[in-house]
Formats: sequence, C-alpha cells, structure tokens
Amino acid sequence: MYPVKENGGYSVVHLTGEVDLNCSPEARRVILDCLRSNNPLLIDLSAVTYIDSSGIASLVEGYQVSRKLNLDFGLVGVSDRAMSVLHLARLDQVFPIFASVEERLKRDLPREE
Amino acid sequence: MIPVAIDKLNIKELPAPPGGALEVVRACGLEHTNAKLLSEKVAKSPTLALDILRISNSAYFGFPGEITSIPHAVTLIGQSALRNMALCIAIKETLKPDQLPAFPVADYWEAALRRAVCCQCLAEEVGQDGDSGFSAGLLQDFGLLVLFYLNATCTSEWPRLAKLNPDDRYDLELQLFGTTHDKVGYLLAEAWKLPDELKIALGHHHESPPDDTPAGAVEICKLTQCTDWMSSVFTAEDRRKSITMSRSLLSDYYGMDAAKSDEMLDRLGGRITQAASAFGIEVGEQIPFDSLIREANLNLLEENISFQEMTWHLEHTIEEKDRIATELNRELELAREVQRSLLPDESQKFDGLVGLNVSAKAVSGDFFDYYKLQSGQTAFCIADVSGKGMNAALMMAKVSSLFHFLGKSIQDPSRLLGMLNREILETSIRGMFVTMVAGVYDPATRRVRLANAGHLPSVMMRGAQMVGAYPAKAPPLGIMPGVGYTAEEFQLENDSSLYLFTDGLMDERQLDGRRSDIDGLVEVFARHSRTAPTERLQHIVADVRVDNNKTGDDITILLIED
Repeated sequence: MYPVKENGGYSVVHLTGEVDLNCSPEARRVILDCLRSNNPLLIDLSAVTYIDSSGIASLVEGYQVSRKLNLDFGLVGVSDRAMSVLHLARLDQVFPIFASVEERLKRDLPREE
Repeated sequence: MIPVAIDKLNIKELPAPPGGALEVVRACGLEHTNAKLLSEKVAKSPTLALDILRISNSAYFGFPGEITSIPHAVTLIGQSALRNMALCIAIKETLKPDQLPAFPVADYWEAALRRAVCCQCLAEEVGQDGDSGFSAGLLQDFGLLVLFYLNATCTSEWPRLAKLNPDDRYDLELQLFGTTHDKVGYLLAEAWKLPDELKIALGHHHESPPDDTPAGAVEICKLTQCTDWMSSVFTAEDRRKSITMSRSLLSDYYGMDAAKSDEMLDRLGGRITQAASAFGIEVGEQIPFDSLIREANLNLLEENISFQEMTWHLEHTIEEKDRIATELNRELELAREVQRSLLPDESQKFDGLVGLNVSAKAVSGDFFDYYKLQSGQTAFCIADVSGKGMNAALMMAKVSSLFHFLGKSIQDPSRLLGMLNREILETSIRGMFVTMVAGVYDPATRRVRLANAGHLPSVMMRGAQMVGAYPAKAPPLGIMPGVGYTAEEFQLENDSSLYLFTDGLMDERQLDGRRSDIDGLVEVFARHSRTAPTERLQHIVADVRVDNNKTGDDITILLIED
C-alpha cells in the first residue's frame, strides 16, 4: 500500500522499494484513484530502489490519464536508480520532473509539454 | 420492552398462590407432619380436596378400588405425592390462562409436566426420591411463566424460546427480560416459602449451587440440570445436541451409558401422558423417542452427505482447474507458435543479420525482425513491450506486424517510428508502451541508419572493444503524440559488429546511474567475439543468465556483422 499525502493542493503518491510486476498493479490503482478524485498529482520516487517497465507503465498511464482530465502531473524526488531508468529510455522528456514537491509549488503554472 | 432486572423485581408483583394448596405444600415439608394434619389442611379447601380425590383415583396411581375420603387418599399416596399434587394445583390456580392472554399456557404446562416426569424418572433411576424430583422438575421453569406474566409484550417470543436448548434459551431470556427463569424461580420459592431444597433446585439448575449447599439439595440441582437437557430432546430444534448433552451429563453425574440414558428418555412419553391425565393437564401426542433419535441421526447423515458433497465439489473443482490449465497451456502453446512465426528464422544468418529470442514465459513481449527491401537493403528492428504476459504478447504481435508492413514503404527509420508511435498510441491501454530501435542496413555499402525510441543503446564492437553506442534520443512508442525521432547513420566497418538487445540481457537491479551496466555486457560480448555469430548469441545469453542469476526475463539480441 503506497501512502498518499496532500500537499499544496496536490495528491502526492509515495512509491517505495521495487516497483516491479508484483507491485505495479497496486501503484497503478493508487495513482488512478487519485486522478479519479480530480486531484493534480505528484508521484514521489525518492524511495524507489528499482522500477521495471510495468512500473513505468503505471506512471505512463497516470500521465496519460491526467492529460485527458487536464490535471497537472509530475514526478518528484526521483531516486538515482529510478532516474537512470527514466533517462535511458528518455522518459525524462515525457514526465515533468521536479526535485521536490516544494520545487513544484514554486512554479505557478503546470509545465507545458 | 423494558427488561425487568432481577434486583428490581418486587416480590409483591409476583403472582400469589392459592393459600390452601400452598399450606398443604408447606405442611408436607414439616418434619413432624402426619396424615391427620395433612388431611385437615386439604379439607380446608373444598376444590383442593376434590382435585386430590380425583387425582388419587386416576390411572397414574393405579390404586385398586375407589378412594372416597381425604384421609384415605393422603395415607395411600403419601406425603411426597400429596405435595406434588398440591404444588401442581397451586401453580395451576396461580396463573390461569386469562392472566396471560395470547400465551399458550397449555404448551407451557406440557413442557413443565415433561420436566416433572423426567426428573421423577431420573431420581428413581439413581436411587433418589422420585416425588421430590417431580416437584423440582415441575417448578424449575416456573420462573419463565412469571417473566411472561410480568412482560406480556414478550409473549410472541415464546415459540422461539420453546425451540431452543437450555443454554441458548438462557441467553435469549437474558436478552429479552434482562433476567432468567432460575433467578425469578428462586425469588418465587422464597416468597412462597417453599422448602429449601426446592428453592435451591429452582435457583441453581443452570449455575452450580453455593458451596455450603446441603448434599441433598445439590443432588436435586444435578437432577434438574439433567432434566432440562433431557426434556429439550422433545422440544429443541437441534435434537442432536440435546441428546448428546443429556448423554454426557448422565454419564458424568451417574456413570450412565448412552443406551441407558436413551432407554430412560424412551420411557418418558408414556409417563407424561399418564401424569397429564391425572393432573388434568392437556398434552399433545408424545413423539416416541426412537423417532426423535432417527430424526437426529438423519440430520447427522444429512450433514455427512453435505460434507461428502463438499468433498466431491472440491475434487470436481480441482479437476476443472486442471482441465482449464491444460486448455490454457494448449492455447499458450498456440500463441507461442504464432509468435515464433513472427520472428525471422534464428538458425539462418541473413545478409549479415542474426537474432535470438528466449522468452521467460510461454509468450514474450520482446521481438526482433529483419527482412529484405526492394532496394536490396535490409530493414531491421528490435523492440520490447512494457510488462509481461499475454497483453504484452498481443501488443508485440501488433507492433511486429506494423513494422513488417509499414517498414516496406517507409524506409526512413525516424519517420517509421513516428508512424508506429501514432498507431500504437491510438489503441494503447494501461500505459503500455514499446521501446524500439528500427533501422535499415545496406550490405553493399555497410551503412547503418537507425532511430531509437526509448530503447537501450545499440553497441558497436570492434573485436573486444566497444567503439560506439547509440542511445535513445526520444521516448518510447505509445506514450505521447508528436514525438520527433531522429535517425543516426554510420558505417559498420568490416571488423565491427553492431549489437542490439533488450533489457533481459542487463541486470537492471544493479543499475544505479554510476556504473553503466552496459560495461558488464560489453565484457560478455568481448569474451565471445571470436565465436561464429549464431553460436555467439547463444553463448552470450547463457553467460548473462549465469552472471545475473536470472531467468525471469525475456532476452532478445540482434547482431549485425558481415
């Protein structure tokens, strides 16, 4: 069960540990639940030690759904390990990425793609 | 309904018994009593005298000849039996049907009489005074009648109570009335100044009597406790429990075996009918004990049958599961065959290209492809669908078909990836995406032109040295529209090889952003650089599986080398 916290009008989902084929369905559920409540969403990846393509797919789906719903979406505090996966696949070009929730809040408008 | 708490119960609220009958009951309990004194007490109440004469002449006692005088009756039936008669009459007079409208008093009486007879039989069986047993049995539930008298609105609950075994009934009483029949019975016995041993039996046939209780009274408590369960055999819905419990109590208290206790239960029916006619109480037809036990056994049998059915269902379910698993495996095998057919023949090197796909499961989300274009060039690709299993496999089938078809007319890899991205985006679900390297190789000029959509870098090796890497410059297919993919073009020297591979070849869990895991893989490529291409790929895969100790990922590798 991944914790969700409210911060500055955002739901912040904290993914942790190894987000692989076993855990990504739960990550997906939590992410989509937040979006269903019409909240802009930030996903904190600071405690992610490993993420595989199914985990990335959960992020991608969250990203795609948030665009459809016109909700702001971003990744925050991305751990080195998660970042190396994102970078290798050039997913850093897809997801808005911020150092922290506070960093995101400093910007007034959602980042345009 | 407001439950009557026992401490709030006012003795004055309790029904008052007819004085005459009660006086006889008390006189019977006196130590120095005698037939003359008792006869006088009986004679004081003409209705009581008549009743006693009638009962004495009934078949219940079976005395020869007609008894016409009270002293004669009293002498013949004896002090204890007289007490029982007087008690019966007293309580019958106390609560008449009109005082409890809508309450089936006859039912209650039948149950009370059954207890009386049951307690009497048991007392006789175990060498105690049968008449004392009769009184105790008769009265042990009287508290319940009083509770209904005080809480007339609960009358409708009687049918429910009547069907329960003693323990469950006790709990329901507590719930309905806030108190129980034994507590009220005890109060009543006190109010009516009934003999002590009766009082104790009324108050303690569910809970143990106090430690200082005289031995005789303790024995009556045991009798009434057994009686409660034994008589519930005839009334409770769950007869089996009542029979089991009766047998167990009789065995514990009196060392009786099951056959003996059943035999006693069997005798009760006839005795009840007799007593009922003697005391002028209406009772229904008594169900023979053997029918009751048959019914209880039948229930047991039904439960066994249900258990058997359950076992059967379970076996059936397991068989069904196995059947479905076999069917699924067959389907998977077919899916694997279809997938295989989408890949080029791995055993043949084709214009300098060779590939290998090893799937972790029956079906794979990885694939590679190459085929000859009209221009004489070779189109090639390697791709990895996110996730595993059937959804990835189906997506793989779609993407490989698209590549195979579109690649023939769109020979610019960057345009081809753009087109594939649009196609995949249209139907992609659940965030599924595809990483892919697509390219064209010209064997005549040894030029390679490729574009990378979020896939791992392609690696160029010269002998044991890595001389080039072509990482992704744009994200995977199927994530967002309008992505611009750029192609790179380079020369593949005649002593060089280009490796394209999926992440099954890398130990991703080691990936930490500092040491590129590709270094490790390059070492493996270098180790086998002198082996012939087809065998080399097999050795590389085998090595990687040993090094990374993982077999759970699909592995695909494509080699271009001339």
